This record gives sequence, C-alpha cells and structure tokens, in this order.
Amino acid sequence: LCRGEFPAQAMPAVSRGPWPDTNCHVPALRTSVPLPPWEDAPARALVALVKADPDVSLASQEAVYILARAAELFVETIAKDAYVYAQQGKRKTLQRKDLDNAIEAIDEFAFLEGEFLLGLVWFQYFV
Amino acid sequence: MAERPEDLNLPNAVITRIIKEALPDGVNISKEARSAISRAASVFVLYATSCANNFAMKGKRKTLNAGDVLSAMEEMEFQRFVAPLKESLEVYRREQKGKKEARKDKDKKADSEEQDKSREEENDDDDERMEEEEPNEEEEVDN
Repeated sequence: LCRGEFPAQAMPAVSRGPWPDTNCHVPALRTSVPLPPWEDAPARALVALVKADPDVSLASQEAVYILARAAELFVETIAKDAYVYAQQGKRKTLQRKDLDNAIEAIDEFAFLEGEFLLGLVWFQYFV
Repeated sequence: MAERPEDLNLPNAVITRIIKEALPDGVNISKEARSAISRAASVFVLYATSCANNFAMKGKRKTLNAGDVLSAMEEMEFQRFVAPLKESLEVYRREQKGKKEARKDKDKKADSEEQDKSREEENDDDDERMEEEEPNEEEEVDN
C-alpha cells in the first residue's frame, strides 16, 4: 500500500473539507466476495476500502455487508441533514455549501471536518 | 485484476439513488455536492473499518465481524444506525441460509440441469463461486 503524495491540483478548490484525492494503487482483490445489495460489480469498491486499512487482515462476509448498509444509511442521513440548509436558503438544489454547513453543525459529522492537511494524513494512514 | 484509485469511491449510481430516495420529489443535487457526499461516505467506511478493527483486536480476533461494525457505530455516535443494521443483518442471514439450502437441493439435480446456469441471476453465480472456494459460513476478505 502506497504512501503517495497528493499533488496540489488534486485538492478541491473549496475553503474547507478534507476531500483529498486518492492517488494510491490498491492491490488486487482476492477471489470472491458476495455482493452487498448493490447491483453493481463495483461493490468491490467497498471491499477495497475495507482492505485499504493496513491493520485489517480479514473481514467476514457479514461485516462487509453491514458496512455497506451503514454507508447507505450514512448517505441518507447526511443528504437529509444537508437538505435542511437548502430549504433555509429556499433552494431546490442541494449544494456543496449545504454539506459544509451540515458537517459544521452536526457533532456526528465532526470526523469529516478538518484542514486539508489533516485529511491528507488520514488518507495516508489508511491508504 | 487491479483496482484503480477511482474505485475507492463508492459507485456513483448507488450514491445518487440513495440521495434521491432520501430527498423529497423535485429536489436536485449539484455534482459537487454529490461528489462530496460520495467522498464523505468513503471516509465514513474507512473510519468505521478502523474502529471496528479496534474492537476485533480487543477481542483478540483477526477477523472483523458484524458485531465489531455495530460496536463501531456506537463508538462513532451513530447509535441510530444500530437498530436498522441489526434488522438488515437478520434478513441477510436468513437469505444466506435460504440460499445455502436451495443450493443443496440444486446440487442433487446438478447434472441434469447444467443448461439452467445461463438463466440464473448474477448473485447466484457469485455465491456459487464463493461456495466452491470456501465451504465455511464466514467468508473472509484477505488483505
């Protein structure tokens, strides 16, 4: 697993949010993993994320499934929380700033905060 | 087959579908916002995995199990996910059990029904491969 560098242009042009680009090569997946209830083959993307943690050696089929479901719940939750801000702004389109507002306001999303550098460290640690 | 870095993001189609289902009709989402949610979900998975792994290590286990993930949710202050996740897990276990039993019946008439393979769903095919390689209940993702 690489400890690659993140070129400046990979950094999104916003004032906040640790959305670093991942420039690292993820090693090939071994054999078969049952698909979570996602239609696509790219459910292996989730497995790749799990594998990206160098401390994790094995994950049961159930664990991967539950992580996938948790990710779905997370997306649902953050979308709804961000929408509150769009409503306040009388908009029918969810925008990036609504996300930022939700992340700043809501405690559970604190792990998403931080300077780009912190996000860099995070991804370097895991990926 | 190598995974590209882009694959570290969860599938766009899935993210978009979930967002659309979460929001009222007629509400749209900008590309930047969707991309940000997708990245946030990836970070969430990485964080949850790491957290779950701590619980596995505490239990002196090398394999993450569903319980570790549930403990991680509590640790991460996403307790509200625990109940729906437990429900999903039950359904999943029942389905897996059903598939196993269906396969046992299928195996009995495997020879005469080989041509049925092309009719099967994609999921079944994946399960078939999985079953042939590891007869165990718990599949493991190797690092």
